[in-house]
Amino acid sequence: MTSTESSSSARKVVVLLRATGDAPILKQTKFKMPGTDKFIKVIDYIRRSIQRDTLFVFVNSAFSPGPDETVIDLYNNFGIDGKLVVNYACSMAWG
Amino acid sequence: MVGTCEAIAWGGTISSSDFHKAASAFIRRWKLINSDFPSWSWVPYQKLRWISTDDKVEGYLSLEKICLLRPQENEEEKGGCLEEADIDGAGNNEYLDEATLVPPPSDHQEVHYYDFHILHCASYSVPVLYFRAYCCDGQPLMFEEIEKNLPSQSADTLLNSKWTFITQEEHPYLNRPWFKLHPCGTSEWMKLLFLSDASLFNNEIAIERYVASWLSVVGQVVGLRIPMEMLKEVGGSQL
Repeated sequence: MTSTESSSSARKVVVLLRATGDAPILKQTKFKMPGTDKFIKVIDYIRRSIQRDTLFVFVNSAFSPGPDETVIDLYNNFGIDGKLVVNYACSMAWG
Repeated sequence: MVGTCEAIAWGGTISSSDFHKAASAFIRRWKLINSDFPSWSWVPYQKLRWISTDDKVEGYLSLEKICLLRPQENEEEKGGCLEEADIDGAGNNEYLDEATLVPPPSDHQEVHYYDFHILHCASYSVPVLYFRAYCCDGQPLMFEEIEKNLPSQSADTLLNSKWTFITQEEHPYLNRPWFKLHPCGTSEWMKLLFLSDASLFNNEIAIERYVASWLSVVGQVVGLRIPMEMLKEVGGSQL
């Protein structure tokens, strides 16, 4: 496990963005990024693209990853068919 | 198709008795996966018999005395303090008693402890996070102090929705002032979380992972990280 982890962290991860609820669909929904990148990059990309501040981002298995998680960790745990599917919605209300 | 309909009908809420089941599943799994972390526990609350006759399970999830370390931001503040002291000194050549200007030693002000309680909120039928923070000598932290330690995205949310995000309220069981994260929006985003994969939606699985899913969102507000293994293949052979 540990030996594969070090080599896989240099790998690129295919991220697929999926709009849910009333979120607009992005022009580019699929891209490759280095596995060592933090999840905040994905969040920021979506936020910039849809130009909304309130964003709710989550992956399969009903999990909202923290901004500091690495993309490769997410992929290793929740990747399906060679992709990390990231869902996003616009509404994120607290109160 | 039937599964999808059921998922749509589900409003993201959880009943009080299901919350107890969900909490127990969460505690079990947390112990299994994070054996070297402090573990969550269920604190039962006994209502006085003559007030309540139903045998509803009352209580809350608790994780206490957790040290959340933040990146050091105090260096800048200290720098600021010293500059002010210098300016004072420059404008006034007399000897200044610096005793009152010296900030407390840094190791003393760095460590903050947090207590987290997860209660079931009857009016919204969702879990709700209560927390408090204190220094190592037990001195409780004021919200201004906690605010400084919050992750940056929470600080932004606070700016936009000051009164509907985190407020200080009475802890329903302990009757002391605790901070509370407002639950009104919870069912909406819980619904979204589970809708993302409707095929996974099945009442038992949803209950098993409800608290972990919920905490993956709520924990980010206060900087409490949940290991992603907690959400992986719940209900599978690992249990």
